[in-house]
Amino acid sequence: MTVDRRSVLKHLAVGGVGVGTAMLGLTAQGVSQPTVIRIGVAQPGIGNPPVFSGSSAAVANAKGWVEEEFRPDGIKVEWYFFKGAGPAVNEALSNQQLDFAFQGDLPAIVAKAAGLKTKLVLATGVRSNIYLAVPPDSPIQSVKDLRGKRVAIFKGTNAQLPINRVLEANGLQERDLRSINLDQGTTLAALTTKDIDAAFGNINLLRLRDKKAARIVFSSKGGSPIFTTQSHVLVTEEFAQKYPEVTRRIVKTFVKTAKWASDEGNSEEVLRLWAKAGTPYEHWREDYDGEPLRVRINPNFDPFLIARYKDSVEQAYRLKLSRAKFDVDQWIDQSYLKSALKELNLENYWPVYQVNGKILGA
Amino acid sequence: MANGKFRRDKHPVPHFLRGWILPALLLLLWWLAVKFQWSTSPLLVPLGKVWDTSVAQTRSGELRIALEASLRRDLIGFAIGVGGGLAFGIALGLSRLFERMIGPTFHTFKQISLFAWIPLLSVWFGLGDTAKVAFLSLAAFFPMVLNTFEGIRSVPGELIEAARVLKFNRRQWIFKLVLPAASPSILTGVHLAMVYAWLATLGAEYLLVSGKGIGNTMIDGRELFLMDLVLFGVIVVGLVGFSLTWLAARVERRLLAWRGHSVTLRS
Amino acid sequence: MAAQQIALGLSAPVSATSLPARRAWLRQWSPRWLALPFPLSLLLLWYVAARCGWVAPQILPSPQTVLLTFIDLVVSGEMLDNLKISLLRVLLGFGVGLTGGLLLGVSMGLSPVFKDYVYPLFKAFSQVPVLGWLPLLMMLVGIDEVLKIILISQAALVPIAINTCKGIENVPTRYVEVARVLKFSRWQLLWRVIFPAALPPIWNGVRYGFTHAWLALVVVELLASSEGLGYMIVYGRQLFQLDVVMAAVAVVGAVGYCLDRILARIEVMLLGSRRRGF
Repeated sequence: MTVDRRSVLKHLAVGGVGVGTAMLGLTAQGVSQPTVIRIGVAQPGIGNPPVFSGSSAAVANAKGWVEEEFRPDGIKVEWYFFKGAGPAVNEALSNQQLDFAFQGDLPAIVAKAAGLKTKLVLATGVRSNIYLAVPPDSPIQSVKDLRGKRVAIFKGTNAQLPINRVLEANGLQERDLRSINLDQGTTLAALTTKDIDAAFGNINLLRLRDKKAARIVFSSKGGSPIFTTQSHVLVTEEFAQKYPEVTRRIVKTFVKTAKWASDEGNSEEVLRLWAKAGTPYEHWREDYDGEPLRVRINPNFDPFLIARYKDSVEQAYRLKLSRAKFDVDQWIDQSYLKSALKELNLENYWPVYQVNGKILGA
Repeated sequence: MANGKFRRDKHPVPHFLRGWILPALLLLLWWLAVKFQWSTSPLLVPLGKVWDTSVAQTRSGELRIALEASLRRDLIGFAIGVGGGLAFGIALGLSRLFERMIGPTFHTFKQISLFAWIPLLSVWFGLGDTAKVAFLSLAAFFPMVLNTFEGIRSVPGELIEAARVLKFNRRQWIFKLVLPAASPSILTGVHLAMVYAWLATLGAEYLLVSGKGIGNTMIDGRELFLMDLVLFGVIVVGLVGFSLTWLAARVERRLLAWRGHSVTLRS
Repeated sequence: MAAQQIALGLSAPVSATSLPARRAWLRQWSPRWLALPFPLSLLLLWYVAARCGWVAPQILPSPQTVLLTFIDLVVSGEMLDNLKISLLRVLLGFGVGLTGGLLLGVSMGLSPVFKDYVYPLFKAFSQVPVLGWLPLLMMLVGIDEVLKIILISQAALVPIAINTCKGIENVPTRYVEVARVLKFSRWQLLWRVIFPAALPPIWNGVRYGFTHAWLALVVVELLASSEGLGYMIVYGRQLFQLDVVMAAVAVVGAVGYCLDRILARIEVMLLGSRRRGF
């Protein structure tokens, strides 16, 4: 009896293993699609469902266009938001918990220099402004007065390099200040309670100005573009190698979004969409005043942007923020972008900026 | 009275009321400050507002979500830490060789202040609850190991002699001699592990900011200047802390009842 | 049964971990070197893992990198500067907490009336762990030094006060009776009877309080600081430089250890006998 049962079980087991391997083999061959695409965002997500702002990726998220693109294939799209901004995204990336990330230049540079294998595929949210805010009754009138003061800087984010450039332009270094690392929410709180003497930040500081809780003493708006922050969308090399087709389609979706958002007729809606993430519509209007939307949503890695990134790599290394230098041209993978532009016939849609900041042909 | 100063209780206020006077005074001060606007800071919220917020949070289910998230992490981390700590502590206690070889390394790691582990854990485990649970397990692990080890090391000599006389085998040695004799210390370790785990739960929520939890509720309150929300969080945290330690004490008393005398906890 | 024989090892001093006779030689040898193989093999594993790239380099920097970074930080003075600031903070905060805790504990222990008034409120406050107070305090006093000192001192105050109070209460009545027989004055009673008898639990509380103070220091520096060891850890984390983080963590551990050892030394001096640690 036992022998019979045992031999039956043995046969079943062998059969099961056989079927199992066959299925594995089949699936291994057939797999060219992921089950889920994980996109990380270096901003806190506000609201329910969470949204963010300042880029074409944000618009795509709000409109659900990425989800729409992949619904027929049954691929889920998951968005992850990080209060800790770029540095927190890096932690997730290095744990292979994300496939794509919307991130600023510095954190991506630092991670790449540390060995994280990524590729930049799309520019978005470029030339964003930084602001310096102080309490209303503060004696600080300009960046020059910051020596020795307690200044909030969100370290490791893409604001750090432009901030350092501003400081250097005024004869200062980060070492000459008492810089505190605070995230966005804590910065706003600390400035209101006057725990810090000044704070560098982005458009969110304008909120405090309206509440009369702070005064803006410096803004990169209208000044040299090297004082602005740059961001991009990147993909992990692993994901791009495994699913090049999906990567291409995502880039195409973002480019389509960028085209839609760059259309002046849609600019109002774009700004209102971004306003849902907390910063009032009026502030977006103010920040973008004088510049067409398409400039900042330009997905192209034009010579200006590439030069900015190269400069950032150098500067990050010089300031000991990153450990190594690397070739930016190798890092940026323009293939997906170029194929998307060609397919959508948008190759000449956006202005191409020269290294000196002037538009080609202007 | 232990210090022997026996005086007839001439104090006017009866015994059971005394503990209430200070809190009542504080609440009165608070109420007065609000009524007469001693401060214009938005931080001075009326008592009623705190009550309203508490009710709103409970009703809307927010409290339940946050508390559930925090407690779930807390208990999982606590269980892992205590289980692992017990095993490790027993190994340290029973095997001289193990103690000589692994002990010093362990004691070195023990010195590293708990929260210094967080940045390492967040890079090693990424986003999500894994890093937090790992941290909580660590928080519970160390006190558990130390107290288990101490308990095993201080088994009284007479009991060992008795075990030898009765010719205990290995199994009996562990289960009938060492563990019962060490149980007060072990349970102290559990108690401490609980305290540290709850502390670590909060810290993890501040430093590994993602997801829900009662600590996150307080941080949100702080960022939005909602004093009532923060106070509500403080009360909840205190209540949970109290309940956990009370629970631990009850379990300890029950498990140690066979010893016939109560054990003073080192708090 | 071999197990039985092992369990009944002879010639062992009375201890639950009696070893068989053949292992007695382990104790004869200087046990120091036995401690080495385990950490050394961990180190080796670390080195190999980094070398062979089993783990990404940004997650686990190689031991050489950490060592070099550490030396770099020491040489540039950065490590020492931050260490000094952290030490000052913790000593100041602990000092405040110690004083407050002792005062409170002594008052509660000596005066049952005082205890009746104060203890319930104190107990309620102590249910909230130190970190529970952090957001509230941040709102009230901001993120500057004051916040840090308050938190650190509160972390130390609670265990010290509780242990002091309990220690005094648990002084056996017969000691006090003897003092009365010897007609001690109030002051003598305090100094020569009560405090010495209560000292072991009080000092236990002091050591425990210090551990908590050091813990609170690290947390508060991680959350809002512009200098200090915790700040270094944050800086390293933000810039994805795990070697800086590990170097700073090592220093945190080392300093915590040294300070605890100092307290243990003082304990030996005060009590004149070996005590088991917490």
